[in-house]
Formats: sequence, C-alpha cells, structure tokens
Amino acid sequence: MKTMELVKTPLLLAIVSMLICGIAYPIAIALIAGGAFPFQANGEQITINGTVVGSHLMAQSFNSSVFFHPEPANFSASGVDPTITLAYAESQIPAVSNATGLSSSLLVGIVNNQSRYTMFFFGTKYVNVVNLNLYLINNYPAIYSKFTGHSA
Amino acid sequence: MSALLYIPFLALIFAIVIASAWLLSRYLFDVYTGKKGRLDKLFDPIDNFIYRIINADPLRQMSGWDYFFSVLVFSAFSAALCFAILLFQGYLPLNPQHFTGLSWSLALNTAISFVTNTNLQHYAGETTLSYLSQAAAIQFLQFSSAAIGLCVAVAVFRGFSGKFKGIGNFYYDYVRTITRVMLPIAAIAAIVLVAAGLPQTFSGYITANTIGGGSQTIAIGPIASLVSIMQLGTNGGGYFGANSASPFQNPSPFTNWFEVYLMVLFVTAMPFLFGRMAQNSREGHMLLIAMYAIYAINMAVAFYNVMQFGPGMEASIGAFSSTFWTVTSTSTMTGSLNASLASFNPLVILAALMGMFVQAAPGGIGVGIVYMLMYAILAVFIVGLMAGRTPEYLGAKILPSDIKRAVIVFVSHPIIILIPLAIAFSTGAAGAIGSGSIPNGFTRVLYEFTSAAANNGSDFLGTAANTAFFNISTGVVMLLGRFIAMAIMLIIAESMLKRPRAAEIGMRTDSLLFAGILVVSIMILVVLAFLPFMVLGPILSLLQGYGAI
Repeated sequence: MKTMELVKTPLLLAIVSMLICGIAYPIAIALIAGGAFPFQANGEQITINGTVVGSHLMAQSFNSSVFFHPEPANFSASGVDPTITLAYAESQIPAVSNATGLSSSLLVGIVNNQSRYTMFFFGTKYVNVVNLNLYLINNYPAIYSKFTGHSA
Repeated sequence: MSALLYIPFLALIFAIVIASAWLLSRYLFDVYTGKKGRLDKLFDPIDNFIYRIINADPLRQMSGWDYFFSVLVFSAFSAALCFAILLFQGYLPLNPQHFTGLSWSLALNTAISFVTNTNLQHYAGETTLSYLSQAAAIQFLQFSSAAIGLCVAVAVFRGFSGKFKGIGNFYYDYVRTITRVMLPIAAIAAIVLVAAGLPQTFSGYITANTIGGGSQTIAIGPIASLVSIMQLGTNGGGYFGANSASPFQNPSPFTNWFEVYLMVLFVTAMPFLFGRMAQNSREGHMLLIAMYAIYAINMAVAFYNVMQFGPGMEASIGAFSSTFWTVTSTSTMTGSLNASLASFNPLVILAALMGMFVQAAPGGIGVGIVYMLMYAILAVFIVGLMAGRTPEYLGAKILPSDIKRAVIVFVSHPIIILIPLAIAFSTGAAGAIGSGSIPNGFTRVLYEFTSAAANNGSDFLGTAANTAFFNISTGVVMLLGRFIAMAIMLIIAESMLKRPRAAEIGMRTDSLLFAGILVVSIMILVVLAFLPFMVLGPILSLLQGYGAI
C-alpha cells in the first residue's frame, strides 16, 4: 500500500467520522427530537408558577411528613431513583395520614392509582414519589400550599 | 401466578428480536454485497463524497493484513482524537459546567476503552465530561468501534464462505456501515428513546428550587443519542456513572425492554447474515442456536436462586429485569448495567463472568460471531480427531495452521486476564483500592480484567479503579483483547478464501448435531480454562454463603 492510503486515509476517515457521528448526529437528534418532544428532551421539568422545581424523573428530598419520601440516596444504584416499591409507599401512609388529616383509605386509593407494574402488566408494583406528591399538592391545595416552597 | 407470565413475555420479546434481526440480515446482505437498491439514490452520493474526501479506492480488494492494518491505524487515529478532546476539554466549547480536562492516564484509559468497544469507565460522566466529550469523543467512538466490529465480521464471512473474490475493502465496508446501517438505525432508536423520556439537549444542567424549598442540580445533555448507539453497538458506556440505573437513561419498563432489544438486535442478525453469505442459511441458524443455548445456560445459572428486590436496584426496574439485563449485557459484551453489581448474589456474577469468558453467546457486535467461528474450527477439529477424518468447515479442509491460529485466539483470553490479575495481587495494587481480599476482592478484580479482556466494560470497581495501575493495565488488556483476535481471524479468513471446496463428506455443520457439539465443546473449553478463577471468586463466595459480593 502507498503511504497515502496507509496513514492519510485512516486519519481523514477518523476526522470525517467524528464530524458525522460525534457532532452532526447528536445535534440532529437534539433538533428533531427536541422539536417533536420538547418536554422529554429537556428532562421532563416540573414548573410551578414559572419556577422549575425539579424533574418528574429525578428524586428530590421532601422535608415534611405531609409528603411521601423516596428511598435514601444510597439505596438505589443511581441514588436519584424517583420510584419506590408499592409496599414502601404503603408503609408511609399512616405518617402522611397523620400529618395531613387525609384518611388512610383515601391515600391507599391514591397510591394504588399512581402505581405501575415493573413488567407492563405483571410483576411487582412501583410508585413515582415525585408524581404522587404532585398529585397531592394539586388536589389538596388547602393542606399542601403552606408546605411547598412556592405557593401553588 | 405472575411468575408464569415471564415465559410468554420473554417468548414475545425474542420473537420480535429474531424477526427483526432476520429482516436486518437481509438488508445487511445487500449493503455488504453492493446489491443495487432504491436507497442508492440517497446514499451513493454521500458515500462517494466521503471516499473522495478520504482519498480511498473502495473497490480495491485488501489482503487480511491490509484490512487489519487499516482497522488498526484508523482506530489509533480515532483514539488519539478522543484522547486529545478529553485532555483539553477545559479549553474547548460545549462545556457549560466548566469541567477541567482528564488526567492523562484516565484520558488514555477512556480513549482505549471506547475505541476497543469496551467502555470500561473509571469516571462518572455527569461530573467529569463536557458535552463535547460526551458527543464528539464518546459517541463518535461508540459508532466507529461498533462499525469496525461489523466490518471485520463481514470480511471474515467472505473468507470463510469462499463465495467472494476477496475479503473486501475496509473503507467500502466501514463507510457503508456508518451511512446505511448504524446512523439511520441509531437515529430512529434515539428518537424513540426521547419520546419515551430520555433527554437530548445541549443546554446546561438544570437548577431547580425543589418543592420542599431546597436547591437541586439536575445533570442533563445529549443523552438519548448516546444511549441509542451504546446499546445498539454493544458499547455499554453510559452517560451517567450509574449507567442504565439512572432514570434519565432508563426511566420506565418500556425503555428497559426497548434497550434490551437494541442490545441483542445486531448480534442476533449476524449469524443470519453469515448463513446468507455462506449461501446456506442453515449454517447460520446452527451458530445462532449454539449462541442462544449458551446465553440460556447463563440465564439459568443467574436465575437459579430467586432474585429479591433490594439495595442497589431501581424500584421501577425490579429484580427480574435487573438480573435479565445484567446477563444480557455481559453475554453481548455491552456492559451497560441497570443495577449495582453489588446487589446480586454470586451466581449472577458467575453467569456474567461466563458470558465474558465465552465471548460468543451471542458476544459483541461483529466480534461475537467471529469468536463463534473460532470455536467452530476447534469443534470440527475435535470431532475430526474422534472420527479419524480431516476436519472440514463449509466444504473447506481445516488445516493445522488454522487450528494453531484458532488455539492462539482462544488461549490469549485467559492469558491476558490471568497475568494482570496476578500482578494486581502480587504488587498490592488490588489491596490499595480495597479489593485485596479473597473471595470478594478477588472477584471484583477478576471481573475488572475479564470485562476489559472481553471488551465488555461492565465493572465492579468503577471510579475506585481510577489509579495509574488500573488505568494502564486495563488499557493494555483491552487493546490485546480487541486486536489479537481480529488480526488472526482475518488471516484465517484470507487463507480459507481460495481453498478448494468439496461437498461435505464428514459431519454436516448445518445440522443440529453440530450445534450441540459446538455448545458442549465451548462449555468444556471454557470451564477447563477458567475453573480455577471461578473457584477462587464467586464459587467460594457461594460456598461461604455470602448473600452478595
């Protein structure tokens, strides 16, 4: 082989590949998917009164017993798992009921409504704590408005 | 009751995998044999433009060495570009979090790790890499290393089948793989992933004022485009340190199983493609059956003890999907993880190691089927000895030189695991990062070098292995694990290209009997080579009754 094809061609191919696969491709996906699915592409942000208060997909700490709580940061592999098992959510119902005055049976219904299966239609069940708390904030503003950093 | 539903669920998933892999193999056949089609109107001008820029003659037939050197030099330049970006990312654009450059040994380890399709990560991406590094360094190498795997496999197929005039041209194969195969499929998968909840943006990290009144920084970026190619290309190197356990990489059961589908798609298509190129589809089917039989054995080992949900797993993923993913990811050399390895019992770790010892069940993109052909040579040789006949494969006589070369490929794997493992323990390097104990520390370090040698990339040590010793030693192991096999298998393929073919007189290799012999030979060879490692590690843990490593 000539030196050209031995050295210069692979070098040029590496540069061209980097430009196509490493620059053009991720930017194109950001433009296409960002245009078609802006909510997801930007991390499913939760906004209350114009303030970003977190993401539906990221655990955050809730510092009051009126809320359900995610697992401690070192329990899951990611440390930011927004989901907990249905059993763990149910175990928190008495405390939440105590702090809010909402009846246990009402909370059991809400928690079960929010729960999903790990295998689409079977397997164990889990609950997204962030969404569960948002549901409570939106549906029981009289109880929750004074516990949110942002008046809802 | 619900336990019984897992079987029809998996049957449905793998019916979809096999049907789409079969269709993909038809498309791949057209791409690599240059068959004219409607898509040429779109792709020919792009391909020709690239050939012109890089000054390559795509029609020149290469020898095995030419092909290998092109792969090697291209990989070296690609790794050098990546190394430079990682080292100097602090001075480069698309760095909204103002991350500084990596240390030279970490940058070197990372560049080697991604160029060899390993994706061992001694860093956590969200606290270390700029957007430019995540895109131009990481995603670029995830594409190019996956494409190289496919190219080498196709070149090897051409030689083995004897139906082609040469083993092909690397530049022709590579350019067509990128433009016609990897980019369109990865783009579609990335868009599906965004729709399913994965972020894709170049805006900086999100600062949130949480509901409880605190402050939270949420790492974000070009995630979907990375996850798509990392699973499709059996790369496995995640955007986040927690990899596919991170909710932004794998937020739901749908993304979990869609990503499993991406991991197994290409590796399942390759034996079908082999059958097409050998002009006997049954030859491909038998290799696929052997691959899936060993994959199923690994699964059975992992699920022998009922998995419990516990620390180190994500609630939305659950124990079953965490275990299934881990075995799939290690059997396919992807190496992405959706749970912490520390959350599993020793049998799951044993199953993961088995996948990485075999490397062909179904193995990494392109290279898995190449390893399976190496085992096929050894299997026909063993059968030939027993039957007293000259071994044959696809009608070609298998010569002593082929067998010697195949043995070198096979034996290189335990050697490049054992030697650095011994050095890590005798020099105290393993103890220095808290992994000097037997069996648990031994298992972690064995896992590290096995993962590096098999170009898998899943790891136990994580950022703890960001020491000069582990960065350099795993770097060397990854290079040897990637390129020894490629070079030798290309040479075997070239030597088989022009060999006379006769109607098979010995054992038929397109029979279920051969698939069975292949599975038994592989299990015997691998268990003989690796039993001592397994006994000192996960098996000892098991005997001592440890719940988890």
